Amino acid sequence: MRGRAIAGTILAAITAFGTFAALSGRTAAESPFGDPNAEPAPFNPQMGALMSMLIQPRHAKLGLAGSAENWPLAAYMLKELRQGFAVVSKAVPRWKGLPVPDLVDAAVSQPLTLLDFAIKLRYRRQFDEAYAGLTSGCNACHATTDHAFVVIKVPDASAFPNQEFAPKQ
Amino acid sequence: MNSAVRRGWRMAGAVLAMICAVALAAWAGGSGFGDDDDNSEEEGPSYFGFVRDTNGATVPDAKVTVAVKNRGGIVTRTDLLGTYKVPGFGKEVDPKDVEVSCDKPGYKQLRVVRRSTTSTDPKIPIETECTLQRI
Repeated sequence: MRGRAIAGTILAAITAFGTFAALSGRTAAESPFGDPNAEPAPFNPQMGALMSMLIQPRHAKLGLAGSAENWPLAAYMLKELRQGFAVVSKAVPRWKGLPVPDLVDAAVSQPLTLLDFAIKLRYRRQFDEAYAGLTSGCNACHATTDHAFVVIKVPDASAFPNQEFAPKQ
Repeated sequence: MNSAVRRGWRMAGAVLAMICAVALAAWAGGSGFGDDDDNSEEEGPSYFGFVRDTNGATVPDAKVTVAVKNRGGIVTRTDLLGTYKVPGFGKEVDPKDVEVSCDKPGYKQLRVVRRSTTSTDPKIPIETECTLQRI
């Protein structure tokens, strides 16, 4: 009986010490998101954030503009999308060791060129084919980089309620 | 010291030893099983590259052999983007002894070019591009 009591007391003491040691590294005022008094850090978005900021919305807007046959907007969004890929390739030249500029080139260069032709010709069918090729390129690249679960598709609705995609009359 | 007290000290010792063992495993970065696959420190660099045709277009579904001189190798295929990836061999394998070749029905291998890199980052694969020519 007395033996168990001793063991229990030692166990409780060790547990209490462990809990204190674990919590003592962080003061009550500190946030897990950082120190409010620190100098602002340079904004350095990584691949996931860059894709969400620069690529996915521009891909969607390009598709919406093309399906509305708003060719000036489609041309503008194509240029923006190209620039987005250039920014991503420069900001993250290697991702998980893989060469990002080479992957982007293999995935999207050809469909982007075909989209450029389609927009200049104002040719909806060629636009749709090239846009499908661009979308497949995105997904092929996601598969190559072990992100096949991120599946991009031709937009079936606008996520931008404050933007008109139909051509200006 | 009577036997109950001795038993108590023995139990306390056992509890302390168990806690130390668990703490040591956690401190080491794992609590036991499942880390056996993480042998990246024993691996050499991985191998990655594109297979292209003579126009520079990537070639999906091409057969790629990554072979270690006199020791056999690994056969894989390029994906939709025309790339292949092979994990690193053991550290005892000198990357200079690793040769990449590619093949696809209707094509013959034209050249194999290894991209030079100044990086010593072990995460960066050895990149080798293989070019196929239509027969």
